[in-house]
Amino acid sequence: MVKFTADELRRIMDYKHNIRNMSVIAHVDHGKSTLTDSLVAAAGIIAQEVAGDVRMTDTRADEAERGITIKSTGISLYYEMTDASLKSFKGERNGNEYLINLIDSPGHVDFSSEVTAALRITDGALVVVDCVEGVCVQTETVLRQALGERIRPVLTVNKMDRCFLELQVDGEEAYQTFQRVIENANVIMATYEDPLLGDVMVYPEKGTVAFSAGLHGWAFTLTNFAKMYATKFGVDEAKMMERLWGENFFDPATKKWTTKNTGSATCKRGFVQFCYEPIKQIINTCMNDQKDKLWPMLQKLGVTMKSDEKDLMGKPLMKRVMQTWLPASTALLEMMIFHLPSPHTAQRYRVENLYEGPLDDAYANAIRNCDPEGPLMLYVSKMIPASDKGRFFAFGRVFAGKVSTGLKVRIMGPNYVPGEKKDLYVKSVQRTVIWMGKRQETVEDVPCGNTVALVGLDQFITKNATLTNEKETDAHPIKAMKFSVSPVVRVAVQCKVASDLPKLVEGLKRLAKSDPMVVCSMEESGEHIVAGAGELHLEICLKDLQDDFMGGAEIIKSDPVVSFRETVLERSSRIVMSKSPNKHNRLYMEARPLEDGLAEAIDDGRIGPRDDPKIRSKILAEEFGWDKELAKKIWAFGPETTGPNMVVDMCKGVQYLNEIKDSVVAGFQWASKEGPLAEENMRGICFEVCDVVLHTDAIHRGGGQVIPTARRVIYASHLTAKPRLLEPVYLVEIQAPEQALGGIYSVLNQKRGHVFEEMQRQGTPLYNIKAYLPVVESFGFSSTLRAATSGQAFPQCVFDHWDMMSSDPLEAGSQASTLVADIRKRKGLKEQMTPLSDFEDKL
Amino acid sequence: MELESNYEIRRVADFIRSNYFTRVALQFPDELLKDSMRVVKALRQELSSSVKLYVMADTTYGSCCVDEVGAAHVNAECVIHYGHTCLSPTSRLPALFIFGKASISTSNCARNVLSHGLKSGKPVLVLFGLEYAHAIPDIREELARNASSLSGSTSMVEYFYADVSCSVVNPSETSKPANQLGLVDSEVVNGCLTEETSQNYSMGGLSWRLPKGRNMEEYLLFWIGMDNPAFANLALTFNSCEIVRYDATEDSLMTDVSQQTKILKRRYYLVQKAKDANMVGILVGTLGVAGYLHIIHQMRELVTKAGKKSYTFVMGRPNPAKLANFPECDVFINVSCAQTALLDSKEFFAPVITPFEAMLAFERGSQWTGAYVLEFPELISSTPSVVREESEEARFSFLQGGYVEDLDLRDNEEVEKDGMSALVNATEKALQVRDEDSQSLTKSIPKSGAEYLARRSYQGLDIKESNSLPQKFLSGRSGKASGYKHEKRNGN
Repeated sequence: MVKFTADELRRIMDYKHNIRNMSVIAHVDHGKSTLTDSLVAAAGIIAQEVAGDVRMTDTRADEAERGITIKSTGISLYYEMTDASLKSFKGERNGNEYLINLIDSPGHVDFSSEVTAALRITDGALVVVDCVEGVCVQTETVLRQALGERIRPVLTVNKMDRCFLELQVDGEEAYQTFQRVIENANVIMATYEDPLLGDVMVYPEKGTVAFSAGLHGWAFTLTNFAKMYATKFGVDEAKMMERLWGENFFDPATKKWTTKNTGSATCKRGFVQFCYEPIKQIINTCMNDQKDKLWPMLQKLGVTMKSDEKDLMGKPLMKRVMQTWLPASTALLEMMIFHLPSPHTAQRYRVENLYEGPLDDAYANAIRNCDPEGPLMLYVSKMIPASDKGRFFAFGRVFAGKVSTGLKVRIMGPNYVPGEKKDLYVKSVQRTVIWMGKRQETVEDVPCGNTVALVGLDQFITKNATLTNEKETDAHPIKAMKFSVSPVVRVAVQCKVASDLPKLVEGLKRLAKSDPMVVCSMEESGEHIVAGAGELHLEICLKDLQDDFMGGAEIIKSDPVVSFRETVLERSSRIVMSKSPNKHNRLYMEARPLEDGLAEAIDDGRIGPRDDPKIRSKILAEEFGWDKELAKKIWAFGPETTGPNMVVDMCKGVQYLNEIKDSVVAGFQWASKEGPLAEENMRGICFEVCDVVLHTDAIHRGGGQVIPTARRVIYASHLTAKPRLLEPVYLVEIQAPEQALGGIYSVLNQKRGHVFEEMQRQGTPLYNIKAYLPVVESFGFSSTLRAATSGQAFPQCVFDHWDMMSSDPLEAGSQASTLVADIRKRKGLKEQMTPLSDFEDKL
Repeated sequence: MELESNYEIRRVADFIRSNYFTRVALQFPDELLKDSMRVVKALRQELSSSVKLYVMADTTYGSCCVDEVGAAHVNAECVIHYGHTCLSPTSRLPALFIFGKASISTSNCARNVLSHGLKSGKPVLVLFGLEYAHAIPDIREELARNASSLSGSTSMVEYFYADVSCSVVNPSETSKPANQLGLVDSEVVNGCLTEETSQNYSMGGLSWRLPKGRNMEEYLLFWIGMDNPAFANLALTFNSCEIVRYDATEDSLMTDVSQQTKILKRRYYLVQKAKDANMVGILVGTLGVAGYLHIIHQMRELVTKAGKKSYTFVMGRPNPAKLANFPECDVFINVSCAQTALLDSKEFFAPVITPFEAMLAFERGSQWTGAYVLEFPELISSTPSVVREESEEARFSFLQGGYVEDLDLRDNEEVEKDGMSALVNATEKALQVRDEDSQSLTKSIPKSGAEYLARRSYQGLDIKESNSLPQKFLSGRSGKASGYKHEKRNGN
């Protein structure tokens, strides 16, 4: 631990070249937190006065209980490089002191929104991969996310100790395993070719891959060994590093390097010969307590042990020896300092990803140059509950300028549109705070390139926001984060005692703030809804709600509820017509399903109401086969003006049509939000206005006549187009040994899931299974699976797509119709669907 | 004679004679209109020819209220109101209410009250639909007889009865009017409770007193009558009480009131929705109920204070088609008598809420604790007491799941602070509007009717654009709206 005062820490913050902001990302259980702990133990900054009585790893009780990380936690590390090691460092620097702001993030997929928030405020990522399990689904997801944010990755192959102790594999086999892990990671990274970011692939021979044993606290990069052998072989370090990886073999008998295995018994791969074998030897000697052999060996390596450590035996001895020889902190921190960008470097290319406004204005330039004298640009990525109940720190990163105590800032919320007043506040920062371990220290100001926590803004920020100086009225906000998960699982909550309602309302507000992903909303029936990414996520949220945000007031939660979507299977069987209440106006309409992939394109924002109509019609024509003219006649997207449904004008030569357009659109927004089956949102439907008959007097074709009629005719056309329900489906990835496969299949079958990929991981007895599982069936899936496989299988579920349910909801007794009846009952609607005849009129 | 007893011809005649009214309006709801001529004939026989009688049919607003405006058309001096009523106080004319007499089996009813009272062990408060008011003395007697025969075996259950506060309403009277019916004797029975020891409750024309120091929650409410708005109001107002309903026509007991709690929750949702509204329509749903003007003013003030824009509409009984003519309004406040105020808003384009709900929604810092108020006098007395704080938290919207702000407020503040920047902002805004109205399919949320209009793609006749050449003469459609002539041909 490094003991520091706030002032000393603040001093380093000004050296923007000597700062590294990085996150630790990985699949669940690959050892992020353990590895982080060993770094923190060596280099964590801790306020001087409290040194000694603070445990860095002290996190939430439930985290410890479950053995998983739930919230991302930020920690600052201090590391002083030696001049010798900095010799080969080419980048700009300012002295030898380095400040590393590290964020440990959760690995469970349910909490990946935390990862997203962490990535936004960091420039580099340490990707941790289990050397046995290899690259898993979550590794892939977070890696993609990181690259999408232009975060430069470095890799560490973790849990090396398993190779030596548990599996006892020989050198060549281990090398192959590591090689595969690195290759797999590189395959993912290679798909993100980005000229600005350059080559993001990782190479052991370049020092961007480390090998670590988080549990035992040691790690190395090839640099460590290269240094050691360079002098011995009389070659320079870079050359040596290349020899230590890849197809380079050394035969001690002939003392020759070859690029092929000569076949001689003593010829071994460079990595095996010079890295793996020595470590293996040391470990074995320690484990077998051959101390007489050990001491000379250590002496040769230049490792000196303290006298009391010399008495250790077996595993503790081995740990100690390894930690002294190859300390994890040195290897990893040096790797980060060398290969991850400083804010100054990173913001140069990240500005494109970050800034919404024009890339040549003052704000973009300030971000690009990481200019502490420029206008303030600060992104709040998450809200952290403060120790006094009900208040929050706004945690984020300063991208440009300085934020200081008492500064008046413009808060631009996620719905802010430049030039308007929506979602915009001007408030002053009460305090600027930096984290020193568990303690927060108030500082005067924080310059760009650093992370910061702000006090006094929590009443105006829900989840995230962009802050700038008060007068900078023309600043655009920093782009909103894109989450890889979506809140598909919902529960209704209510308080046990009716008079606790104000508490519940307050608690939900705070919950919404504390988690980037959770959504607190309300149903039409008046129930409060909490929506989360998965069962586990919801469980944690509700626990927080009750214990932390409501002061323990009891709540009742409903069973998890899944929201559905309503769609159509084919074109309406006929053109349907509805008459206005005064019978003077008629609307004729047809519904048809949108082309495959179009709804997703609208979801992704590739096609939307804000697009240039020309570009939109081009995409529609080229990718989805629309008629170019028709593509220009889209009246609206819905629901909420951006949803994946459309209303299109197909009329020819209708008088007054322009007058009723707004009314039809209003009716469409209304109807697409509450479909005719169960009042769920519609999805993937195109409504075509075929013909319109209107009264000649404007007063008789006003909104009052047309809006309800438009809604009715939309319902009628929906019901005549073979309506279907869409249900959300998870992509499940399970890793398990072969003997557990039977159990997995039977559970999946039971739950209507289907496996679409089964792959054995090379070199392991583990199988990787990918399957689709309806979200409805996923409740209790984890525990059932664990029971069926005696705990060997661990699933990760991510929302993947909407799947059409084949049964007809209009057919009495079908699965879909019972489902519809259930939803209607829950929502307090009439149990019977309104029949078509109530929507369609006859002449 | 059934007509005589049902419509209380004699009492009406006495009332008219004793007050020397010469022009009398008889107000019938639609379902009783068929009897109106017979009632008039019967009254004619009783009254001198100098008295002019007028029959008023369908009212502009709810038929439960006295149609004072209608009566004013004929210069009537009083209104005789027949059928179901909310007994809302009138503002101009005296009125006599004839509730009608629905048939009820007193013995069955009494037995149900008794058995249910014993089961719950709570004191029972008997409330009833006004059409059963005539049967209450009989039920009470029956009950007393049954109870005494049962006493000894179980602990005595206390019974309380509501009274009809009055059947004559005089506009000038503000205090509780004297009871003019034969129900006076019920006062005597309850007489042991003096003013000091009891607390008055009244609602929908019923009033009752309970001993001081006891809450309504401690009572079992026993409702005799149908599941009508009056019952819904009761269930909403006393939503924490246990309520059972005895349906006299089916002779059955309903203990399940989950429907009512559902309604309450739904109203709660509407309140939340109203909070997000930018433009509020105030519907004048009554021109008779005393205090309506006061409430309308109060609502306007409330809406303006909340930084929203209000528009007042007089449109008679609201229906979806009428309200949808004003799509700019995000929510409507229905100012009307208690029993017509609750409109189920499913069919409406924008939700319709009551003045009480509006108070909940638009008063910052007010929270719903479960109480529900529908009647005007209570509403007026509960005028806002909370003073707005200067710096306050942004409002959290449950519909949007995030913070939202109320805009106009801050605009005003800024004008005061800095005239210069306000001007700049205004110009900026104006430029914004122009810039946006071209092709884009989404537009910012309008804050006033004018902005809404500017946002519409069609804003009325465009004179400049139209081509000045006279158009060709065309023949239009002919026939009926249900099917024009050319359509009929196509259809068949």
